[in-house]
Amino acid sequence: MTTRVMTPPPPRVAKPVRKPPRKPKAAPGSRRLSPLRLLGSVIVWAFTAFNILVLYWLISASFKTPVEIFTKPFALPYQWFHLGKPFRNFVYAWNNAGFGDAVITTVVLVTLATVVTVAVSAPAAYALTRLGVRGSGGLTNVIAIGMGVPFQTVIIPLFVVMSKIQLDNEYGLFFIYVALSIPFTVFLLTGFFRSLPDELEEAAAIDGASPTRTFFSVMLPLARGGLITALILNAIGLWNETLLAIVFLKDQSSFTLSRALFTFYGAASYQSEYGGLIAGVAIVVLPMLVLYLLLARRIITGLTLGAGK
Amino acid sequence: MATVSFRDTTRYYAGVDRPAVDGLDLEVADGEFLVLVGPSGCGKSTTLRMLAGLEGVDYGQIHIGDRDVTDLPPKDRDIAMVFQNYALYPHMSVGENIGFHLKIAKMPKAEREKRVRDAAELLDLTQYLDRKPAKLSGGQRQRVAMGRAIVREPSVFLMDEPLSNLDAKLRVQTRTQIASLQRRLGITTIYVTHDQVEAMTMGDKVAVLKDGLLQQCDTPIGLFARPVNLFVAGFIGSPAMNLLPATVDVDGVVVGGTRLPLTTAQRSGLTSDKVVVGVRPEGWDTVDPESGITGVVEVVEELGSDQYLYCKSTYGGPDQVLTVRTPGMAPWQRGEKISLTPKAGAVHLFDEASGARLMDS
Repeated sequence: MTTRVMTPPPPRVAKPVRKPPRKPKAAPGSRRLSPLRLLGSVIVWAFTAFNILVLYWLISASFKTPVEIFTKPFALPYQWFHLGKPFRNFVYAWNNAGFGDAVITTVVLVTLATVVTVAVSAPAAYALTRLGVRGSGGLTNVIAIGMGVPFQTVIIPLFVVMSKIQLDNEYGLFFIYVALSIPFTVFLLTGFFRSLPDELEEAAAIDGASPTRTFFSVMLPLARGGLITALILNAIGLWNETLLAIVFLKDQSSFTLSRALFTFYGAASYQSEYGGLIAGVAIVVLPMLVLYLLLARRIITGLTLGAGK
Repeated sequence: MATVSFRDTTRYYAGVDRPAVDGLDLEVADGEFLVLVGPSGCGKSTTLRMLAGLEGVDYGQIHIGDRDVTDLPPKDRDIAMVFQNYALYPHMSVGENIGFHLKIAKMPKAEREKRVRDAAELLDLTQYLDRKPAKLSGGQRQRVAMGRAIVREPSVFLMDEPLSNLDAKLRVQTRTQIASLQRRLGITTIYVTHDQVEAMTMGDKVAVLKDGLLQQCDTPIGLFARPVNLFVAGFIGSPAMNLLPATVDVDGVVVGGTRLPLTTAQRSGLTSDKVVVGVRPEGWDTVDPESGITGVVEVVEELGSDQYLYCKSTYGGPDQVLTVRTPGMAPWQRGEKISLTPKAGAVHLFDEASGARLMDS
């Protein structure tokens, strides 16, 4: 056996103990404060602050008495809490505005209209982007033009036609909501379908799936982010829609929330019930805000991760 | 099990006058592994996609076995395809991905699960069956894509650069796995790649395409030993063959001090007295400075087992670079003078104008 000469390992030099930084350093130059950037940040933060202020004012005022609203607009509510009836305004609004029926009408109407809109628009968007139909580019443009027509301009002829066929009621409103929401929804979803990789469709074709099967089993699940976005945006839009509801709904029992709020606005301001009025506004606005906060992440997160390499 | 034949198959793309694939005639025997190879845009992927039914055929036909599949949709062709980026369904688990075709074909659940399990076992994927593709590594995804093809037991496998997204080491490993799997299953396979090493190592036969035209279809050895034209000669083999201009006179052609007489057959292939002499890097002998092609070693690439010398020479024109393979650990240094002459039988002759090989017999 031969002996090998082992060189001893070099003595360990004591290194300074390093702590990971709280935030890794940005790339050089990427953090420079340019005037444009500064201006942008100022505008964004001012806008955000203004919105938060409005939201704060809305929520705090809905717990206040009219006197408090006008004398101390930005203070925290006191009087109703002091009297042990903090939700008095909400109770008043709920009982006097007919919100009980209106909530049910609105939820049913908005849900149905939104779901039907997406159910019609998704196959349409798929066909327009993916099936390579002749003239699909032109058709997409025609649908996009629909977004450019303000519905306020067609409201009178629309009412005339709808009342002639006895649809100047909540059923007619449903059809109008669906019809008016389709252009935007199709346009939004064409973007989503267009971004999905071609190979998945080709793989499905080789696996033997028909176009219908491909749409339901492969493309639709992948466009889920887009579908949820379309649902939320339509729901918010229709939930807040007032003008059409005022024109088409005559029967108090079929009022939507925004329509009921409009009636309540007249009554409450006449009686100087401003606390109750603002509570009514909060009842209409807050559910959509909560819905948006809950689902906003779904809008942003894509689902095509992992399809390719 | 089936043969595949392309008969004068031609494909045009909209707005392009030159066909992407031009009159392709190609026969693939039953159970054969055919590799389509060529530079980007040569029409190899188009050829594969026409066979898959993802691309129309403008002229000519494609047959699988004795069926004319030219106008059949993909699902009726009994083929399975592995895509370059795998095209796994991201919302389905590995098991569902592999079994999707069987589900569409309405195979009973018990049998379907058994087939999926068998395929997974073959590819070492059993423990990942419930995972989504996003949770898998690149190599595992590649195997899932393979599994999706295998489980169908198709008559033809189509593979479109399935290894190009893997890292170098895994690519070499998977290369062998795919080749041995194909031999075991005995299913006719058409494999597209731009990597000539993949083509040479995997294929029973290799078809070289350029600009939509089939250049040569032969065994890897045939391609290497007898390239039919300058393009194939330069494309196959790594590093590439050295191509030197030369002039033919009555006695033959002189290369690096060696006189090579031309046969009658070779002479009949000439269109002028200009020829191109091809010598592979391993086809050189080093000789005395007076007799051979002289040059200066510019770069020494040491691979351990071999050594490649890139030598600058003025032979046949300024800035000619000659590649020479020498045994590994040879004592060559940069700046050394070298003198080369081709080994006997290592010379390929091509007509300069037409680029065609001057056939020895």
